[in-house]
Amino acid sequence: MSETALRPAARVVTRPSTPRKRRRRSAYARRQGRAGLAFVTPFMIIFTLIMIAPLGYAVYQSLYTTKLIGGTSFSGFANYSAVLQSGDFWGGVIRVIIFGGIQIPVMLAIAFFFATIFDLGVARWGPLFRAIYFIPFAVPIVVSSVMWGFLLDPAYGPFNHLMNAVGFHNFNWLSGNLMIPSIIIIAIWEWTGYNCIILYTALKSVPRDVIEAAILDDTPLWRIIVRIKLPMVRPAIIMLVFINTIGAMQLFIEPTILNNYQAGVVTNTWTPVIDIYSTAISNGQYQLGAAMAVVLAVIVVAISVASLGFRGRRRGQQ
Amino acid sequence: MSGASISAETRRERRRRERLAERDAAIPVELYGLKRGTVTALTTCCVLFALFTLAPVAWVIINSTKTQSNIFGSFGFWFASPFEFFHTFANLFRDIDGDGTYANWFLNTVLYSLSGGIGATVLAVLGGYGFARFEFRGSKVFFAIIIAGLLVPITLVAVPLYLAYAKVHLINSVWGMILPSMVVPVGLYLMRTYVELSIPRELIDAARIDGASELRIFLRIALPLMVPGLMTVLLLSVAGTWNNYILPLIIFSNNQLFPVTVGMGLWSQHAGNSGDANLYPLLVLGGLVTIVPMIALFALLQRYWRGGLLLGSVAN
Repeated sequence: MSETALRPAARVVTRPSTPRKRRRRSAYARRQGRAGLAFVTPFMIIFTLIMIAPLGYAVYQSLYTTKLIGGTSFSGFANYSAVLQSGDFWGGVIRVIIFGGIQIPVMLAIAFFFATIFDLGVARWGPLFRAIYFIPFAVPIVVSSVMWGFLLDPAYGPFNHLMNAVGFHNFNWLSGNLMIPSIIIIAIWEWTGYNCIILYTALKSVPRDVIEAAILDDTPLWRIIVRIKLPMVRPAIIMLVFINTIGAMQLFIEPTILNNYQAGVVTNTWTPVIDIYSTAISNGQYQLGAAMAVVLAVIVVAISVASLGFRGRRRGQQ
Repeated sequence: MSGASISAETRRERRRRERLAERDAAIPVELYGLKRGTVTALTTCCVLFALFTLAPVAWVIINSTKTQSNIFGSFGFWFASPFEFFHTFANLFRDIDGDGTYANWFLNTVLYSLSGGIGATVLAVLGGYGFARFEFRGSKVFFAIIIAGLLVPITLVAVPLYLAYAKVHLINSVWGMILPSMVVPVGLYLMRTYVELSIPRELIDAARIDGASELRIFLRIALPLMVPGLMTVLLLSVAGTWNNYILPLIIFSNNQLFPVTVGMGLWSQHAGNSGDANLYPLLVLGGLVTIVPMIALFALLQRYWRGGLLLGSVAN
């Protein structure tokens, strides 16, 4: 028992200060290490089996080609050059970039507007509205796409009747020109509440005395919002840009489901994930699909790293 | 009896106190020097966006009571007779067009979400505690790899998983759905942050001095303190699996194994030419039945997810 009593002291003494010393760790530190390893091992095993191994296998597969005659053979980067030269694939990438480039700023502006209202308490029944706005987060995207499909249905949808009543006849929310704007509306419906709650929590953590001082200086409210609150929640906004961008790049469910209400607009290559799905699963070109998945993963990671780098630089400047 | 009424009383008291404290913490609106009518105008904005948010939900509730012809023929935002709710509800338990039975899909969704969610929570709690309170060889590298996993969403892993499953015969296997649902890197990240903020090192060291084993320290000291964070991770991972579409779409070809999302996707594809099967009412009511448990769960556990979302934004 006296040995256990010494443990914390031993830990302080043997805490490694140089890399050379780290190799000679005390029995105590080794035991600690084993315990720590035991705690993280279950997660690491499943994580390796489910994420690392399949991704590795996909990269491996993407270097091979199966031909009708001759079977499967190593083809180097042939699949990758096919993906990189595919106009359809890049067309899909550009489409989701346009989608995200409009949807994310508009949604964040709306979310920030309401988060500010709730934070300042300048509207009645704030808690009630906060709860209502969060409801779509609990609706699976398949279900919300089905609901919106009914609402926007070109022949029977109530929103179509609405446009008719306003004077736009033969209006089609799901036509080729309006499919992206319609999906933007749906995505704004789905995600504004979630973004709003996160911005609201971030705004709540702005110190009260800063705002009070500004009010005592007779600073107009809009200036308090733009000059004090907005900069203080910038980390939360950048995190949201990052999360929403990753989400937008994977656009899949909404166009797939809406296609059942208006056939012919959403093609097999409409978004990168639809392209990957139809290539790998529907057409059975596993290796080409795997190469596409790898390329899209690289694009997503590059965007993420760029936005994290942006955040790091901002923080460095301050 | 009296005990119950006293606790109800104190709970009401506490809620009142919290509300007063919140009001005291807020800056009185009068101080902002707003023009008259601003509060009314902003409240109107809130009402308009609330109408936009509630419109599809209201549409689903109203139209879950209609016949197929009334769903298309009558005004979308008001009821029409006959009242078909119970008839359609009974049809949720039948295989009406050969695609499968909604009730069966619903049970699958519950099974996948609960087992995946509980598994994910157990792994995240253990792993988060391990990374937060222990230093061991490779811990930094492992954690960096998991953070990288945050950037690779399940949609992108789905096709690689399919290729790997084809190799190890996990296509059309329940485990092929449950195991990936247990990998929630963001859950581990949240739990690590939570442990660092809420469980002092001194507390654990004190228990070690008293000779408690690491397992005992975890179960008796750390775990009770981790419950609020744990509930957040449970909620997020259950909701994540509940909503998952692309993974089950890819790995299941047996309709009996579908979760609700894939089943409804299939129905929406077939509803247009299902003839007499009348799939549209089922699609509407099925959607309603799918979202009610999730909204109830979020409402019941709202103090947890609020805390958890806060954690996510602060931690970043």
